[in-house]
Amino acid sequence: MRPYQVGTAAAIVVIAAVAMFDSRGAFNIAVGTSPGDVGASWYPFWSAALMALGAVWVGVRAFTIPSSGESPFESRTSVLSVLKLVIPMFIYAFSFQWLGFYIATGLYMAFFAWYLGHYRWWAILAVGVITPVAVYVLFEAAFRLILPKSIFYLMGFPF
Amino acid sequence: MEVFGHLAGGFATALQPINVAFLLIGVTLGLVIGVLPGLGGTSGVAILLPISVVVARGDIQGANTTTAVILLAGIYWGALFGGVITSILFNIPGEPWSVVLLFDGFPLAKRRGKPGLALTSSFLSSFVGAFIATLLFTFFAQAIADQALKFGPPELFAVFVLSFTTLIGLGAESPAKAVAMLAFGLLLAAVGFDTLTGQQRLNFGSIDLLAGIGFVPVTIGLFGIGEILASAEEQGIGHMEQISAKLGFQDLFEAMRALRSRIRLVVSNAVIGFLFGVLPGHGATAASFLGYGLARQYSKNKEDFGKGEISGIMGPQATADSAGVASLVPMITLGVPGSPTSAVIMAGLFVWGLQPGPLLFVEHQDFVWGLIASIYLGHFITFLLCLMAVPLLASIMRVPYAIITPFIVVISIIGSYSLNNSMLDVLITITFGLIGYWLRKMHYPLAPLVVALVLGDSTERELRKSLIAGQGSIGIFFSSPLATVLMIASFVLLMLPLVRVLIARARGKAAQPVPSAD
Repeated sequence: MRPYQVGTAAAIVVIAAVAMFDSRGAFNIAVGTSPGDVGASWYPFWSAALMALGAVWVGVRAFTIPSSGESPFESRTSVLSVLKLVIPMFIYAFSFQWLGFYIATGLYMAFFAWYLGHYRWWAILAVGVITPVAVYVLFEAAFRLILPKSIFYLMGFPF
Repeated sequence: MEVFGHLAGGFATALQPINVAFLLIGVTLGLVIGVLPGLGGTSGVAILLPISVVVARGDIQGANTTTAVILLAGIYWGALFGGVITSILFNIPGEPWSVVLLFDGFPLAKRRGKPGLALTSSFLSSFVGAFIATLLFTFFAQAIADQALKFGPPELFAVFVLSFTTLIGLGAESPAKAVAMLAFGLLLAAVGFDTLTGQQRLNFGSIDLLAGIGFVPVTIGLFGIGEILASAEEQGIGHMEQISAKLGFQDLFEAMRALRSRIRLVVSNAVIGFLFGVLPGHGATAASFLGYGLARQYSKNKEDFGKGEISGIMGPQATADSAGVASLVPMITLGVPGSPTSAVIMAGLFVWGLQPGPLLFVEHQDFVWGLIASIYLGHFITFLLCLMAVPLLASIMRVPYAIITPFIVVISIIGSYSLNNSMLDVLITITFGLIGYWLRKMHYPLAPLVVALVLGDSTERELRKSLIAGQGSIGIFFSSPLATVLMIASFVLLMLPLVRVLIARARGKAAQPVPSAD
């Protein structure tokens, strides 16, 4: 566990360092700032500094305290389980620009019904159709919440 | 007692069939809006504002401005209750003020297999909190509103600092990790425009980031998506644990027993929530986090927080609902909205031809007392509706993994996208899902991150307003007795982990085996 703890703390320090560099104006209060005000960069700079301090503290403790020696992952299968969810999720989100929300949602739901549920074809079809239709009725028709449309929308389709 | 006479008149108005009918419509719509992530109480009230105009001008027989305000306020009460449902069942906040329910509501529902108890406890504490707030509204509205105006930036800043130090000083397994997460939240809250000077910061040239990083996409990712990934790893994909929730009146009885043993917490949190909610600009969301901190601070079972502790549900929920009711106080008494939702309701008052402010109590007594009576009725009706829906809601947890998991992702994405119609928010949600998953594995507490992200903007604003008022001197934070007490309490809480270590060493406990840094 120690390398992972140190690596995570180091990543936090890097994020904090980038933020501190971006907020280096904390030491040069902008013209026009009200008397007594610390300026726009002071707060993010010192927040980042505090974040780095906390992470360094975590890193030092990870080095000085005996590690349990265990891996953060239970097994290779468990990592694969996570990836099987993450990869379709990213594909789903990035497909919005072409397929729009409704087609992408239908395919995404149907994929899981087939891949994980091993349902019959008509159940897969039902899940893939009912979900986007229900979302459309509830969010778009009833509450006027506009969700991304597909490339077919310009051809006159409603989704 | 003149108040009782006014209140009786108010009930006579609120109990007219047309008003009861619109109250029922309002709370039902509010519940639906509360359950749906992405639709907030504010947007719900705004959507129905045109309908309220039709109602207020008397196009419907028997309806008037009181009916219109009862309709709009009913949506708010429904949303205050309904927002917790997805927090507890799916780990996705339905409303910003139900984010805090992710900490203990979801663990009680899922890990301890008691979704019915989690929901019932939340509804019960909401009802009690709102009832206490309405009592305070009835008897002390004007006096409290006058005092609230004296609560300045240093006092507000001190309250926020106290909320943060509570998270570090009490309960956190690793204060260092809590500090890092708290500061991370503050940093994320600073992204975008600086509200005081208009300067850009931490946006790295991105126009999309100028609007800042919203806490809703982040929390949906950290908790909703993060939890799905953690479950998939712990139990294997396709084998999410099935919850065999025993449904029925036993949940209500158990929640009532839990309430009885926590009545002091719920009552005190409701009073504090009311006082906080009266302050203009600080609605139910900030109050809910304050309520969680207080619940943990005064609990004997601090180590159970985050694992499904009922005080972690009842405390913040009573505070949030109380603050929600209180946010109407400055609107009615001073003409200053206490929250975004009350600002929209106030817009309605203007459209209907009413002038919010001190004269409203004098010139439109029927309206004001009808509204106050409807708050009692509205919460009672909402509570009953919610209780009736608990068995149905809890059974959602039994939906097969292959359906519920992708459905949670779909709902999460709708919730984050619909805030600003922004694909960036969707990417933020997914990214923070992965970050939340990893931070959880590394035992970093997520609550300080979320609390700091929610309160970060307000904290900075009050800090800088105080410094401007004090000409740059930090003496301003000790200029009033209240601010001084709060700042000293914050310092003591911050030092608590260090004091604990020193005491342990002094007692020779340092010689015992040290825990792993993991």
